[in-house]
Amino acid sequence: MKISLKWLKDYIALSVPAEQLAHRLTMAGLEVEKITDVNGDKVFELEITPNRPDCLNIVGIAREASAIFGKSLKLPVIKKSSSPKNKTPISIDDKQACSRYIGAVIRNVKIGPSPKWLKERIESIGLRPINNVVDITNFCLMELGQPLHAFDYDKLSGGKIIVRRARSGESLVTIDGVERKLDPSILVIADERRPVAIAGIMGGKNTEVTAVTKNILLESACFDPVLIRRAGRKLGLSSDSSYRFERGVDADMVASGAQRAIAFIQQIAGGTVTEFADIVAGKKNIVKREIKISVDEINARLGAAIAVGRAQGILKKLAFKTTVSKNILKVTPPLFRGDIHTNVDIVEEVARVIGYDALPSSTPHIKMSFIKPHPGWRCKNHLRTILTAQGLDEIITYTMLNRRNLAKTSLGHLKGIAIQNPLSQDQEMLRPSLLPSFLSVLSSNISRGQKDIRAFELGKIYSAVPEKDVLGILLAGSRQDDWRQITKEAVNIYDLKGRVESILKEYPVGPISFVNVQQAALENQQAVAIKVDGRDVGVLGKVAPAVLEQWEVKRAQVFFAQMDIAWLYQYVDGEKRYQPVPEFPAVVRDISLAVKKDISFAKIQDSILSLQKEHLHAIKFIEEYLGDKIPAGHRGVIFSLTYQSPSRTLKEEEVSAIHEHICQTLVGQLGAVIR
Amino acid sequence: MAWDFEAIAKQIDEEIKTVSDSKSLEFFRIKYLGKKGLIAEMYSALSSLSAEEKPTVGKNANILKNRVTQLIEDKNQEIAGLQRNQSSKDSLDITMPGVATPIGHRHVLTQTMDEICSLFEKLGFVVQEGPEIESEFNNFTALNIPIDHPSRDAFDTFYLEEHDPHKNDRYLLLRSHTSPGQIRIMQEHKPPLAVVIPGKVYRPDAVDASHSFMFHQIEGLLVDEDVKFSDLKGLLTVFCKKFFNEKIKMRFRPHFFPFTEPSAEVDISCYKCAGKGCSVCGRKGWLEIMGCGMVNPKVFDAVGYPKGKYTGLAFGMGVERIAMLKYGIPDIRIFFENDVRFLRQF
Repeated sequence: MKISLKWLKDYIALSVPAEQLAHRLTMAGLEVEKITDVNGDKVFELEITPNRPDCLNIVGIAREASAIFGKSLKLPVIKKSSSPKNKTPISIDDKQACSRYIGAVIRNVKIGPSPKWLKERIESIGLRPINNVVDITNFCLMELGQPLHAFDYDKLSGGKIIVRRARSGESLVTIDGVERKLDPSILVIADERRPVAIAGIMGGKNTEVTAVTKNILLESACFDPVLIRRAGRKLGLSSDSSYRFERGVDADMVASGAQRAIAFIQQIAGGTVTEFADIVAGKKNIVKREIKISVDEINARLGAAIAVGRAQGILKKLAFKTTVSKNILKVTPPLFRGDIHTNVDIVEEVARVIGYDALPSSTPHIKMSFIKPHPGWRCKNHLRTILTAQGLDEIITYTMLNRRNLAKTSLGHLKGIAIQNPLSQDQEMLRPSLLPSFLSVLSSNISRGQKDIRAFELGKIYSAVPEKDVLGILLAGSRQDDWRQITKEAVNIYDLKGRVESILKEYPVGPISFVNVQQAALENQQAVAIKVDGRDVGVLGKVAPAVLEQWEVKRAQVFFAQMDIAWLYQYVDGEKRYQPVPEFPAVVRDISLAVKKDISFAKIQDSILSLQKEHLHAIKFIEEYLGDKIPAGHRGVIFSLTYQSPSRTLKEEEVSAIHEHICQTLVGQLGAVIR
Repeated sequence: MAWDFEAIAKQIDEEIKTVSDSKSLEFFRIKYLGKKGLIAEMYSALSSLSAEEKPTVGKNANILKNRVTQLIEDKNQEIAGLQRNQSSKDSLDITMPGVATPIGHRHVLTQTMDEICSLFEKLGFVVQEGPEIESEFNNFTALNIPIDHPSRDAFDTFYLEEHDPHKNDRYLLLRSHTSPGQIRIMQEHKPPLAVVIPGKVYRPDAVDASHSFMFHQIEGLLVDEDVKFSDLKGLLTVFCKKFFNEKIKMRFRPHFFPFTEPSAEVDISCYKCAGKGCSVCGRKGWLEIMGCGMVNPKVFDAVGYPKGKYTGLAFGMGVERIAMLKYGIPDIRIFFENDVRFLRQF
């Protein structure tokens, strides 16, 4: 909201420089965002918080300044004009929606441009002067906060005002020239035939005051904030009036606002009030409430030592009725302070006028509690340590996506969660997979010349409520930058598997296995389910070339893993037990053998382990060999077996015996040829 | 033939000094130890010597032989050492790059959140998390933001199901702030409690250099029987001075949040102009960095705490904004582009 310093000084004698006034207002909760010079005047732009509709007018700001600077407030003198005997014909159909309506008919007004002082006032706060009557209604709105509207009385069919809900199918061209379709959720002001204004929001073109208007009907009313707010939202229409009605206008101001405007109209545009009506329809919506608070409570809540007299002085200047007995303040806030209900509201009033900076500061005594940190927070931090140590960079991506990007990733069958009110298609759903997010990051990096991408995200996917915590990893490009290597080796699936394994091995989880599966978006034969204790916890694999093509990723081998992580959180507090480090030497024997291609390493391992050899300590894969020395359809596999006993040094002969047995078993069970 | 062994020994000692490489050492060796060398000559002469001469010459020839052998050996080592030094100077270019497994980088937003949270952890706070998909009740109503109130305007929100905004408050939405985390914690635990809650929040804001529809917040909550407004000031002053630096100035400006009363916004003096006013702070000299206040008793009512028993303080800050200020990052969108050259800077 804009206010003019000159105008403000009509109500309070201020001698402080504009900058200091702005600072003090800001520090009392009325933030001055900008000061501009306008024709020798200073115009403040204020951000008024939604709890303070009483400050959406100049008198309201002057009242604040009077409390801040301890100066008296000069309220405008409002004379009540003598009411004529004739009543304006007004009927209020919806008494819930309109608690009070004043309608004054003023005849023989002379519409014309406003006098210079009025034009200046209107212009100083950024409004456009229209004509004397309209300018007066705007002046009174900005001065007192009471929305007013003037109708061309002769255009009101039947000379009547009816406050009612709009009927289905009705519409109204508002003064901004836009046709508004109405429905029964919207409150209107109507004459006998048709709506003539959208109540509290904007008047209609059909009854607008123009240069030829002779007789006017001035409206000063109070409408239900919720109804006005809903109508405004529905119509996408907001005005200075509706902004104030939504936040709540002072019920006492309806009459004062009307009288102030009538006096100005008669003074500037002439005319006589011939009909008048003041209808109080609903019960008064605000009940006067007394709050009792001791100054000790104020001080306890603030950690301050404010004297009771000071607190009372501040509240009085803010127009609160206040009495003190002993240390108890009995406070009745004015009607226009609909935001004041409870003791803490009084505490804030006193605190903000003193200024928070002038209040004491202390350090809190924080008691220790048994509440544990969220295991997810700790686990994710641990995962970040492991993943960054493996050379992966953390990314954070938008969790919303365009449905098209799912289809582009061959994941169109997945169900995300739709957003009801996205601002753009790129926010139409919450993602059911991390893959599109990763491919988008990969694609943009490649287009910027960054081809070696090793990235992870600890994010969420959204297919059901609540959302699911997942880890995503993407590897693309070369394995490692090492100039000693003649050729740059590209990453492959084992780089990804290794990372996943090393994460899982950090936790005391059950047996880990990797099983070939068919998986959308991943290449056949290169898609693997990650299983722990036989349960699926994620997938990893090579992203299908068709998908990469869609994302304009060319000539790149891209590997992606996505794994649930919430199940790992249980291990964060897991106990670890000491295992003695082997004391006696280990004997390592290599085995090199050729097996049929369809015999997996896991199968070889299984048949060794099935022998349950007591001293077999570890099996370590060394190399796969596919040369011309290996018969067609076979593969060479080299691995080592480590023999060790926790209690003694093994003898050469006993190791040889076990080793020989293992070799013979492999030959017998798997048809292996020992090389 | 008679030899002056003493003179020969001297000559050998002098001669070896002039030897500087393996080639001249070889000449030296041949001269004395070669098949036709001086020592060989002495031995071959033995047979023609008298019985008196024989032992003297033989003994001296042996001494000379040992001496020459020793000298050659020493010289060899000396030359080899020289060569080693020489050759290492020739072949090692230590300016060529070293090779190491690259270390990955935590996202700068994670680092900022970590840093903030661990600062509060050291003061006795505990880190908690809450879901992003929330109920309208937790996001709004329990926080004293009633249905149909303009204070909801400050929190435009993404909804996840078709809803009648006037009907009830059980609809699912994406939390528009981390404050519903407060409600969850208080529903589960009794005071005293001191928690910080980091996480993603969502608002349907048009994207520009300083606005994003998805961003991160950290919420803080301290509830006990005697928490005061002065504690709020002290706590956040300690935090800001530790996080930014000792010298920054701070101010607490009254503001409005439905869930706190009194409420404040915290400004710090602009890091660029130190309060004079510049383009970074919009000529104000101050940068707004968080909202805070004393927990509104209505929030305690909503979670079922006994009336009047507890007081509390709460605060909330935008992580992107703080990281942008701290690291001089000009545009919020950079965080979510994930250009690896950006990620690897932190």
